[in-house]
Amino acid sequence: MNRPKIEVRRLSKSYVTDRGAVLALRDTDLTIAEGEFVSIVGPSGCGKSTLLYIVGGFLPADGDVLVDGQVVAGPGTDRGVVFQEYALFPWLTVRDNIAYGLEQQGMVAVERTPIVERLIALIGLKGFENRYPRELSGGMKQRVAIARTLACDPAILLLDEPLGALDAQTREIMQDELLRIWLNTRKTVLMVTHDVTEAVYLSNRICVMSARPGQIVEEFTVELDRSKSREDIFLSEAFNKVRNEVWLCVRRQAMAEEPR
Amino acid sequence: MSLRLDVKNWFVRTVPLVVIIGVWQLLSGAKIVDPAFLPAPSAVFAAFADLLSGGEITLNLLITLFRSAVGLVLGAVSGAWIGLMMARSEIFRAYVAPIVGGTYSLPKSALIPLFALWFGIGNVTAICAVYLACLLPMIVNTYHGVITTPKVLTWSAEALGTGKRQMLTRIYLRHALPDIFTGLRISLGFSFVLAISAEMIASTSGIGKLMFMYGENGTYDYMFGALACIIVVAFLADRAMVAISAWFLRWHESAARTEAA
Repeated sequence: MNRPKIEVRRLSKSYVTDRGAVLALRDTDLTIAEGEFVSIVGPSGCGKSTLLYIVGGFLPADGDVLVDGQVVAGPGTDRGVVFQEYALFPWLTVRDNIAYGLEQQGMVAVERTPIVERLIALIGLKGFENRYPRELSGGMKQRVAIARTLACDPAILLLDEPLGALDAQTREIMQDELLRIWLNTRKTVLMVTHDVTEAVYLSNRICVMSARPGQIVEEFTVELDRSKSREDIFLSEAFNKVRNEVWLCVRRQAMAEEPR
Repeated sequence: MSLRLDVKNWFVRTVPLVVIIGVWQLLSGAKIVDPAFLPAPSAVFAAFADLLSGGEITLNLLITLFRSAVGLVLGAVSGAWIGLMMARSEIFRAYVAPIVGGTYSLPKSALIPLFALWFGIGNVTAICAVYLACLLPMIVNTYHGVITTPKVLTWSAEALGTGKRQMLTRIYLRHALPDIFTGLRISLGFSFVLAISAEMIASTSGIGKLMFMYGENGTYDYMFGALACIIVVAFLADRAMVAISAWFLRWHESAARTEAA
């Protein structure tokens, strides 16, 4: 068997708060193969974002995270991240935001320009190159954030509720864009979302987490013909079957947590 | 209701100022206050015009400006650096925070006589007073700007390959820029206050000394005239600062609001 792209082994994480230590993750395991699109869903506050931040190398934790067999010690350009809050640098224009990572790598302007121009075209923001983030809508900002991450051509994309702040219509458009980007690049994707439908529509595999302390309790494999249209997929039996199963599973986890 | 509608009109907004000057002129003319001590605006204006025609005011104004500018620049640079270090280094903060907290509310002008003893009469004393007064607002504002940098911004920058040292200049200081400009504007005001105070107490030159001298001689119209000079200069400096910060912060949310207070 091939070596997994990402391997999470017996990962535990506790936070110290004013009211004592809180265990966010307990002995979590997760293995992702190269080119897979894996989504993590679960009740709010179950530690799914925490898991993603640890894979990103932003938070220390007990246990191991391996990428290509190497232990993750901190953030790296091999793992690109997109956050729900867009996290664009507000002091840089659209163009400079997208070029930022390339500039940090030491790439000269002549080499940067064609890459940046291609990405601006890809996200459909031609004519907005010199705008600042404050002048953009939520959907536009998230497009720029995705382009900024893609510019460095990371092998892995970590998406933290990337479409969570968008309105329903923009969200659907962006889902299709994400799907298109993934189908074209076949990057390894780990996405955290609270939207089960979105997870089923985009991923190969869905991991459901339990309430805190979070653990992956169930996995679902999604097999859909992604060449079909959104309408066809949404109306298909296969899609709805998985969606219902995942939805029920998440609901059970959420109910188990509620002390009511 | 036209008063409310025209509130954006520059001319209309000067009405209160004109009224104050008018009342002042009347008070002085009615001799409610001895005109020797409260010269009429017309007398002040005459003195102001007379001062402008002579070279004395220009030279002293330049001396005062030099002292405030040097103190401001030194205070701004070191204050921003200390604020940044306090926000980014726990050890640095542990040592420096008590000093900053202890001296923040201290009126810096109280130290001028002490500085005069240490550094003598003149430039060094005035610059030290200005420096100290500018330092603290710069530290406090820069610190706030750096400490409030959202996690997602620093994480994004790290994931895009930003090195430790570059995080300071490319992320933290950039994020703190709006606060740094707030600190600069406060410091600019303080720089004039402290330069003039220091000159009144321990100097042989500068606008402060000039005002003090006119006051001693009982030529209050000239004292007010010198005061008017510094008001004009300070006002113009503040406007320039607002314009400069608006240009540097054109990316910031505040740029959408066209009018600065």
